[in-house]
Amino acid sequence: MRGTWPAVAFFAAAALGPIVVRDAFFLDSLILILLWGASAAAWNVAGGYAGQVSLGHAAFFGLGAYSAALLGTRWGVSPWIGLVVGAVLATAFGFILGFLSNRLRGPYFVLATIAFSQVLLIVASRWRGFTSGSEGIPVPFRPGFWTLGIADKRVWVYLVLVLAALLYLVQLYLERSRRGYQLAAVREDEDAALSLGVPARRLKVAAIAASAALTAACGTLWAQYVGFVDPYYVFSVDLSVRFCLATILGGIGTPLGPFLGAAFITLLETSLRARFGGIGAGLVGIYLIIYGVVLILMVRFAPQGLVPWIGDRLRWRPRLGPTA
Amino acid sequence: MHVIPQLLASTILLGGIYALIAVGLTLIFGVMRVVNFAHGEFLMLGMYLAFWAFTLLGLDPYVTLVLGLPLIFGGGWLSYRLVMRPVVHASHNVQVFTTVGLSIALQALALVLWSADSQFVRTSYYAVVVRFGGMALNLAQIAAFAVAVLFTAALFAFMRWSYTGKVMRATAQDRHAAALMGIDTGRVFALTWAVGITCVGVAGVVLAPIYPVYPSIGLQFVLIAYVAVVLGGLGDMVGALIASLVVAFVEVVGSYVIGTAWKEVLYLLLFIAILVIRPAGLFGQRGAEVIGT
Repeated sequence: MRGTWPAVAFFAAAALGPIVVRDAFFLDSLILILLWGASAAAWNVAGGYAGQVSLGHAAFFGLGAYSAALLGTRWGVSPWIGLVVGAVLATAFGFILGFLSNRLRGPYFVLATIAFSQVLLIVASRWRGFTSGSEGIPVPFRPGFWTLGIADKRVWVYLVLVLAALLYLVQLYLERSRRGYQLAAVREDEDAALSLGVPARRLKVAAIAASAALTAACGTLWAQYVGFVDPYYVFSVDLSVRFCLATILGGIGTPLGPFLGAAFITLLETSLRARFGGIGAGLVGIYLIIYGVVLILMVRFAPQGLVPWIGDRLRWRPRLGPTA
Repeated sequence: MHVIPQLLASTILLGGIYALIAVGLTLIFGVMRVVNFAHGEFLMLGMYLAFWAFTLLGLDPYVTLVLGLPLIFGGGWLSYRLVMRPVVHASHNVQVFTTVGLSIALQALALVLWSADSQFVRTSYYAVVVRFGGMALNLAQIAAFAVAVLFTAALFAFMRWSYTGKVMRATAQDRHAAALMGIDTGRVFALTWAVGITCVGVAGVVLAPIYPVYPSIGLQFVLIAYVAVVLGGLGDMVGALIASLVVAFVEVVGSYVIGTAWKEVLYLLLFIAILVIRPAGLFGQRGAEVIGT
């Protein structure tokens, strides 16, 4: 298990956090870091490893959030079942999206994914009878583990830690398995991969579907933790951008990158919110300006992301990593 | 019934404005091979320019249009120098993320400067309706259409007959050959970007009297422009013009038949259908989307 010690250290620190610190603000930040990290890692499966850069992944996140929230509020079904339903739905939609956009490359694929997430946004925000439209859905608090009504933030930390670790392992698999090497070949040169007998089309669709299911699982947990589902947030392009921003920042196509990127973004956001939140809500926009500028600077000066960049400095290199 | 002429007139008015937005987008793609994901944000900035001039200086949006033209062009040129120039020859993903980053930053800038609330440019004539042959048309919409047609026509004439336009078309055809012929492609890219941004910024100024302004309004219009540009064939200016009318027609008739709430679904589904069936667009070259030019 070469090269995994930084990840082991990261997850161990996250696991120790709730034991050492009891502060609610700290725990909240930790949960959000792990959740956003897991979401970004799920994006990385398609965007980083398969090279299918999507700006519509919020669609899958929203599907997960809505499935659990709707099943819970309308029929009293457990969010765990909602999570599975959301993942199954997202897989189905992932297959459809992957299949339909199979021929598209570069900006064309990006445009298709944006359109796809916008369709779901409109359905969620206009279909008043079923989704309560643009008002969104408050997720009722029903105490108990089966209903995910958990007040203790420490339990939440371990819940999302399990998800985050699972996503790390999925990425590690993609980095070290035969399938992963094939995906890397497709990403770097699809025609060359095809000519070598790699089933490029099928692999791309499978990567998108798997990425969709994992993103939906993150969406379910996020909605249950935050307690509210707003269609204009969970289906927004901004949210999709957030996933890829965290991944690019940390290191696209590296297993730990999405988590480090998410940690950076979440800490920046919460600290600026804490500082400027009281003065004027408009100033909260400052962190978004920083996001934008950081994104522009990253892809220009360190397109491989922070993890390989730090790795270079420490003479430690992750095995794979696309050249942006 | 006066429904059909009314629908047609609305289609043409709306299509003219969409065309101006789409032409700028397709010009930038055609020459630079960059899909500008920040295009909508320049529309938003144009609208805020009109709003600011109106509330702070009491300037009518059409006066702002004339006075602000160098400002919009300069802003476009500056954004090229600062953001786009280093990535003109970079990979698609780098370009996508650079323009997405620009889009986030500009939207957030508007959020800080003007807050997330909807702002209005309430001119004295904002509710004036012109009745003509049984059709009722908004005066500001007619004016916006007239400006859009004027600018689009000027751009077409510029591309067709001016020497600079010829140079731009040559660069669009083959940037390496153009460079070998002594064309300074860097300057061509800067000019193309600035002209494309000017088109969409002008559209923003003339749309300000019609629509409320808020930081994320760009997305709504730019999605339509993407549909039109892909439908017409990315990089194809005449295609974008015709496709804008098609999209406007879908929107107007769709709003009439199934209501305004669901009209966006129509053109988004149209968009996905084009991308799946014929991603090169109606007039574009087949296979462009696979090569990823």
